[in-house]
Amino acid sequence: MSALLQNLVNQPYKHGFVTEIESDIAPKGLNEEIIRMISAKKNEPDWLLSFRLRAYEKWLSMTEPQWQNVKYPKIDFQDISYYSAPKPKKKLASMDEVDPELLRTFEKLGVPLHERAALAGVAVDVIFDSVSVATTFKEKLAEVGIIFCSISEAVQNYPELVQKYLGSVVPVGDNFYAALNSAVFTDGSFCYIPEGVKCPMDLSTYFRINTEGSGQFERTLIIAENGASVSYLEGCTAPRFDTNQLHAAVVELVALDNAEIKYSTVQNWYAGDEKGIGGIYNFVTKRGLAKGINSRISWTQVETGSAITWKYPSCILRGENSVGEFYSVAVTNNYQQADTGTKMIHIGKNTRSTIVSKGISAGHSNSSYRGLVRIAPTAENARNYSQCDSMLIGDQCGANTFPYIQVHNNTAVVEHEASTSKIGEDQLFYFAQRGIGAEEAVSMIINGFCKEVFQQLPMEFAVEATKLLSFKLEGSVG
Amino acid sequence: MTLMTLSNNDYINSLVERWGSYSNSTNVAWLNQLRSEALHCVNKLRMPTTHMEAWRFTDLSSLAKLSFPEALLFPRDQLSELARFFLSESESEYRLVFIDGHYVAELSQIDSSEKIIQGNLSSLILSHNQIISSHLGKLAEFQDDLFTALNTAFIQDCACVILPRNVSIARPIHLLFISTQSETTSYPRCLVVAESGSHATIIEDYVATNENVYVTHSVAEFFLADSAKINHYRIQRDSNQAFHIANHVVSLSASSYYAGVNITFGAQISRFSQRIELGGEGAECSIEGFTLITGQQLADTHTFIDHMKPQGKSRQIHKCIADGSAHGVFNGAVMVRPHAQQTDSAQMSRSLLLTDKARIDAKPQLEIFADNVKCSHGATVGQLNKEEIFYLRSRGISESVARNLLTYAFGGEVIEHIAVPSLKAQLEETVLLRTQIA
Amino acid sequence: MIDQNSKTLLEVRDLHAKVSDVEILKGVNLTVKCGEIHAIMGLNGSGKSTFAKVLAGHPGYQVTAGSVSFDNQDLLSLEPEVRSRNGIFLAFQYPIEIPGVANSQFLRLAYNTNQLSRGKEELDPLEFDDFVREKMQLLEMNVDFLDRSVNEGFSGGEKKRNEILQMALLEPKLAILDETDSGLDIDALRIVASGVNKLTNKDNAIILVTHYQRLLDYIVPDYVHIMESGRIIKTSGKDLAKELEVHGYDWIKADQLAKSTESSI
Repeated sequence: MSALLQNLVNQPYKHGFVTEIESDIAPKGLNEEIIRMISAKKNEPDWLLSFRLRAYEKWLSMTEPQWQNVKYPKIDFQDISYYSAPKPKKKLASMDEVDPELLRTFEKLGVPLHERAALAGVAVDVIFDSVSVATTFKEKLAEVGIIFCSISEAVQNYPELVQKYLGSVVPVGDNFYAALNSAVFTDGSFCYIPEGVKCPMDLSTYFRINTEGSGQFERTLIIAENGASVSYLEGCTAPRFDTNQLHAAVVELVALDNAEIKYSTVQNWYAGDEKGIGGIYNFVTKRGLAKGINSRISWTQVETGSAITWKYPSCILRGENSVGEFYSVAVTNNYQQADTGTKMIHIGKNTRSTIVSKGISAGHSNSSYRGLVRIAPTAENARNYSQCDSMLIGDQCGANTFPYIQVHNNTAVVEHEASTSKIGEDQLFYFAQRGIGAEEAVSMIINGFCKEVFQQLPMEFAVEATKLLSFKLEGSVG
Repeated sequence: MTLMTLSNNDYINSLVERWGSYSNSTNVAWLNQLRSEALHCVNKLRMPTTHMEAWRFTDLSSLAKLSFPEALLFPRDQLSELARFFLSESESEYRLVFIDGHYVAELSQIDSSEKIIQGNLSSLILSHNQIISSHLGKLAEFQDDLFTALNTAFIQDCACVILPRNVSIARPIHLLFISTQSETTSYPRCLVVAESGSHATIIEDYVATNENVYVTHSVAEFFLADSAKINHYRIQRDSNQAFHIANHVVSLSASSYYAGVNITFGAQISRFSQRIELGGEGAECSIEGFTLITGQQLADTHTFIDHMKPQGKSRQIHKCIADGSAHGVFNGAVMVRPHAQQTDSAQMSRSLLLTDKARIDAKPQLEIFADNVKCSHGATVGQLNKEEIFYLRSRGISESVARNLLTYAFGGEVIEHIAVPSLKAQLEETVLLRTQIA
Repeated sequence: MIDQNSKTLLEVRDLHAKVSDVEILKGVNLTVKCGEIHAIMGLNGSGKSTFAKVLAGHPGYQVTAGSVSFDNQDLLSLEPEVRSRNGIFLAFQYPIEIPGVANSQFLRLAYNTNQLSRGKEELDPLEFDDFVREKMQLLEMNVDFLDRSVNEGFSGGEKKRNEILQMALLEPKLAILDETDSGLDIDALRIVASGVNKLTNKDNAIILVTHYQRLLDYIVPDYVHIMESGRIIKTSGKDLAKELEVHGYDWIKADQLAKSTESSI
């Protein structure tokens, strides 16, 4: 039976191909000159250069964190190229002029760009090795006053907005990787929803790391003004390389009074091969500030890729009655490692948070949930409910749960539950006795296990997530 | 920061300086060796700081200022006053009494028959050298733990209980540690060896005559051989000014069963670290903790349940009531090692905050490396259940009475499981007194 | 209903099986024809539940000798799901709980998989809903069961009814009911038994594995077999069960012992 399960969980990486595009790559290494070069190449205002330099200075004084439950060889930060942009052959006026090779890449990935994007009703801001290449639906969004563009464009066109919010949720010296990102980020997405506007469609971005040895440091900033709401989707794939690539993104969300931001991620970066060679290091800082009264920030993530996933999408619940949510599925196989979870920092009165985490471990992988719920003395009547379930497939993997609960206000109610289950031989036999094969049975059990999280995803994403999990854990039987 | 580091080291240094004068070397070579090894570790180790994950919430800088000497012998003519700490079943209890760390034979009551072997280390070490030397210091690792190392370096005496094969003792064994003197440090030590199939109830009881400031560094080691069963009630009712740093390690062989109840009422800063190794197939443990603190008290409970072999079972409930500006810390880890299949583990932590100044930090942890297991944990922090208060009020009970009743019930649940009637009654009374707010 | 002309559905010859190196079945012989109801009785540990699981292809059991043909096909070489699709149904003694998977979803997938393999039409969720509700009435089951996870939190009786519901949906050629009566109160037993009776016809067959006579008051067998130490030691008509109820299993054993002593003389 264990051999059967082994087969079920072994599935080659589907997105492993490299696009042949001439890249404009900075020399390896990090110093002040490189940062000045990035800033100059991007024609940035002085305040942004000094933001970067401030971050770099902080970074120099920091050491890599050691507390996480993941193991990897020391990263040589001087052996990474901090800038890689596809060389624009000419200025793009329309989608037709986008490099056909690039379009084919997206096609292979199934990115609903171009006409397909219109049919799917999805606006896609495509990030290709850090530089935004094409943005669709911009005009349609502009009609209602929504700004959705690359962050470089936003720096040029809306500098006051970027300056006001950049680093306001994740300060430049927040942590080692956030400081690094703040110093060297090359591109990312910017989204601004003006007062009272409900974004008419899901906004979507696909990230893809292409050039071998190039770190990806995108920066995302989403602001929802009073009464605004937006649902933002992020999908990630990367081709396969034998050296590990670092991905250290920063995502900042700001929700003002009565605003709502829903941020969904399906992450399927290259996880390394079945021996654990290669794969992406996904060290990401994601944080939302529920600043206004009745604001709501919701994170949903399906993490199936990367050699190491290490991220804690968090909510700072500052506004009265604000709500934070975290729904997560993390699947690890072979030698993958994941240490992921969330932080819910309750500051305002009557703040509420919900955490639902589902970890699935197979092969030799190791998956940890790590979460913090902190109720500050000011957070009267705060409520938190956390549920963390683990499923183990095989006896070579591990699943850990580390919830930190800090309560400094006696009106709080904090509840945490965790359980472990497995796909048992008896369950599979029961299915088989009713005519249902192992592959379908595993898929059904896993989807049932993850149901509460998948329900949070937009329809198209839920379908993609279900498929991804099937790829990851099913494959061909026998 | 620099100052703090200095005073931390001062604390260790000043204790170590006294080592030579107090811990006279015995004529038992292995014990001398054990103590000097431990001293060697003490010299290498540093005082924990809140920068260390295991001590994040427990700041020992106030302890570091108090390097008290060991106590002098208690005046013999006042011994009779201390009989009030005996259980009312005193006729039927076995008792080993230590005053400020020194064994007092006059107050102790031991079995003269050979059915069980109990006594202090000095009186048993020659007659039972073999069994004591093969157990003492073998479980409580001191290489990385300053306080275990300190206690081991300072072993002068030890409460020893050895239960021979298949011996079942109905009378409780009361290990009574009384603190009488202010500004002293004591190093209580317990060793329990339960041979296969034996069964006993052990009460490890820390009490104080006055609201003194004193420091206790205690260590207890329990060995349970195959099918042995131990009920262990650990009661820490030190002075509210005291410091108590305790380490307890339990080793469980196949099919053995450890049932522990740990009660924490006293000390301004207390730390109870417990490690339970389920090292044999089918071993089982059930641990219940209850902490009731107020004022500026800080009580830190760290437990680690280590499932090493298949078919182990563990049950844990930890409850904490924090009143005043008290601070409760709970860190409960459950580890299921590879091949510890069919482990069945459930852990629950419940905390109650009675005031807006009180604070709780809880961190349950599950680390699982076997797939065929049943594990769960849960944690809640909050106030009394409003529905329950309403229900009582709807039956005509005033709100304050309803609150008192429910607060008492919250802690009473753990005390309920103590099977020694007089001890249970004493503890119930304390909880009742402390939870009744007018 | 015994009809000498009906075709043979199941032919078990000298079946030996073991679980983790312990031999449980030590030469079982059994022939089941269409339209027949067989009861297999025996003490706990006699091997009757193992026999049921081996027929369904439980991976925990290893067949070491013997043959089983079902519907003129070698059964032992088939995967469990193929046996199911070919018409073997096992009502589990302890139905498995599957958290997170809705009962309705599970039932529909099982139904459609079987329909497909028989070249029949699948039902969409709406059609299936009507269909399953109808079948549920047969077993006096509350429709709430459809929305709950498979068997999770079901009482013993609810689980057994859910098993018979699946039998009603899948319309097997051979249904093996493993201790379906255990854990049922008298009302539930009556409902389950009448459900089973409604599902029997001249083209299918049933094997009842049971410890007690109780169920046989409601589902009347054509044959009663007594299993002991991994073999069928006695086969007779329905009255055998009643005699067993009166005299106990020792009576059979004594009877057998007498016979074997006789034969050795």
